[in-house]
Amino acid sequence: MNKLFKNNSEVNKPSPVKLSSHHLLAIEGMQKTEIQKLLDRADYFANLDKHADTKYLSGYVVLNVFFENSTRTRVSFELAARRLGAEVINISLINSSIKKGESLLDTASTLNAMKPDLLIVRHPHSGAPLLFAEYLSCSIINAGDGRHEHPTQALLDALTIKRRIGYLEGLKISICGDISNSRVARSNIHLLTTMGAEVRCVAPSTLMPSSLEKLGVKCFNDMKEGIKDTDVVMLLRLQNERMSGTENPSEREYFKFFGLDETKLSMASPNAVIMHPGPMNRGVEIASALADDANRSLIKTQVEMGVAVRMSIIEALNHSKNKS
Amino acid sequence: MTHTIFKSIKLINPATNFNQKVNVVIHNETIINISKDLNLEKFNKDNKTIIYDCEGLTMSPGICDIRVNIGKTENLKFTQITAAESGITSMVILPNQTPKLDNPSIIDHIKRQSEDINLPKVMVYGAATKDLNGLEISEIGLMSEMGAIGFTNGNKSIKNSLVMRRLMSYATMINRPIIQHAEDEDLSGLNQASTTSIRGEMNEGEISTRLGLIGIPACAEVIMIERDIRLAKLTGAHYHVAHVSTREAVKVIREAKKSGLNITCDTAPPYFSLNESKLLTYNTAFKLSPPLRSEDDRLAIIEGIQDGTIDAIASDHRARSKDTKAQPFSAASVGASGIETLFSITLDLVHKKIIDINKAISFLTINPAKIFGIDSPSLEEEKVADFIVFDENEPHTIKKENLKTSPTPFDRKKIHGKILATFINGQVAFMNQIFKNKIIK
Repeated sequence: MNKLFKNNSEVNKPSPVKLSSHHLLAIEGMQKTEIQKLLDRADYFANLDKHADTKYLSGYVVLNVFFENSTRTRVSFELAARRLGAEVINISLINSSIKKGESLLDTASTLNAMKPDLLIVRHPHSGAPLLFAEYLSCSIINAGDGRHEHPTQALLDALTIKRRIGYLEGLKISICGDISNSRVARSNIHLLTTMGAEVRCVAPSTLMPSSLEKLGVKCFNDMKEGIKDTDVVMLLRLQNERMSGTENPSEREYFKFFGLDETKLSMASPNAVIMHPGPMNRGVEIASALADDANRSLIKTQVEMGVAVRMSIIEALNHSKNKS
Repeated sequence: MTHTIFKSIKLINPATNFNQKVNVVIHNETIINISKDLNLEKFNKDNKTIIYDCEGLTMSPGICDIRVNIGKTENLKFTQITAAESGITSMVILPNQTPKLDNPSIIDHIKRQSEDINLPKVMVYGAATKDLNGLEISEIGLMSEMGAIGFTNGNKSIKNSLVMRRLMSYATMINRPIIQHAEDEDLSGLNQASTTSIRGEMNEGEISTRLGLIGIPACAEVIMIERDIRLAKLTGAHYHVAHVSTREAVKVIREAKKSGLNITCDTAPPYFSLNESKLLTYNTAFKLSPPLRSEDDRLAIIEGIQDGTIDAIASDHRARSKDTKAQPFSAASVGASGIETLFSITLDLVHKKIIDINKAISFLTINPAKIFGIDSPSLEEEKVADFIVFDENEPHTIKKENLKTSPTPFDRKKIHGKILATFINGQVAFMNQIFKNKIIK
């Protein structure tokens, strides 16, 4: 393990977190203290040996319900749940019941009738997990809904930054790319501004959502300006599948103005780190060499932290339900 | 047939600018006497006269609702009955139902199907283009002869400028208005013919950004209106804009009216009483077209109502099944019920001192009739007894479980004012228990 990730949490072992809700639907509206506690607990999990006994949730049943393709998020949730000793069932609903004409709520209540403890839902429509939470009795984790939120991604990004830099408050963080279509951007904006970071958003004007500055961020169309003196450069994937062909002239033009290369990165703070939620398009959002720069790129650490963060959340939701 | 007397009722009759407490006597389908001093002997010779004590109650012409969608959850009769219970005595239905109202025989069919002396009169907007495809003009002359009072593409705009020009030009010959759902559907991402997979879902702004829903910019409405105004000028047509929802739209319509063009417009209760912040919980009851707009737009609609830029208020009724609304916002159907709340939400403007009651009643009765050249309802002696009786101040709460159509964007709203009875052709089309108890003898 990287020396920077010094293990000191055994000394002050944080206890499982109790949240005000037994769902995790969005970062927007979460309290700073809740986020802080989840990150501390996740940090503790991240420091444990992967064979350490963390099977606190034996008999707990998790349904991983994905209405949209995913590899890393699905596997990450599955690993997290298994490391906690839970039973995990993966269900891909991209082609099955929906094609048969069953409504989303019928599908959900069918699953709910099997009495799972937790549904982890990814859905192409913004707000879909809120609908699940309204109608179903089990806990719901939003594993990404349309263009709305991807709360666990924001938490794992925050943990990654904290473990590298040590703190979030006062950091300058630039989120660059397809903000319009990005649920990762929205969750990160809410989380990082709540934690006191200075968040900047960099995007072509066609991919910058309306009134974004009202979410407490600064907006830039010039990438060099937007990442000037920044501590973290967070890149987003161009989500061509959510576009209409009118947003962006070409990938090479995008790379020229919004792809991260050495020249643009030189504007950032000398110690600036690079992040990307993946999957990334090399040569579009980021120059290939930078993505592999072990000193600056935290892309693999993000994936690693995903498991720890999701452990802390699954545990917290169980805890919050039992106690509420 | 005996006489029916409404004793000590406040009669509001916008056509004659009348607002006084009087006694109203009806006989068969006609109002035969309106007077301050009731000569009971004269009307009670057979001693069978029905007398209602209407102290504290108000009578006005029945509502003429000029925008009603008959969706899959309803049939015409059901909607007529619901309308009667809501104070509506005549209504205009849109051509975008199954089958589409795009030829004279179906217009005739609707007319015959809906003819019931005891239910609200049904009028029709014919489809402006064949199969509502927006490309070829339908037989608007023949449909007009069958009674279609105007032509529209329903909830889709007439997009092609040449088609719109020809329609307007042709409509001048038959003296009928062209009614537009004003929306640049390419801009709002609703044009399914294009390659885009994006579909506008709500008003564009901070809230659409927070929710991750695709925004429809407010200017998508005014762009279409501005084009149409130029075509109306070119052709001399009567152009009517339906469900106006934005400040800019009100502004350009105001200017166009000032310049003397024959332009009219209506709005609907959601656009003067709600704004986009209602969507923050992804509640699909608020998924409407046009979408709920900003607070500034809402205030501009109110200004338009106050200064008369907006001519009429319509329900924009578009009921939907609960199943198509219990969906993620993006997948949910568009529209909400309206006829059951049209009266009380409009009356809310009076209680909020935005307009006076004469004006509110005008927006629902003579103004829409005037736009479409329908017989203007007037409660005078020797006129037809089409009217409603209501309590202006009765406090109650709109509850979705008490409504017959769904969804309502006004669930749990506290309001004042309740329809107690609806009379059509002198017959009781609807009467609730409160009013039944007002009978003296």
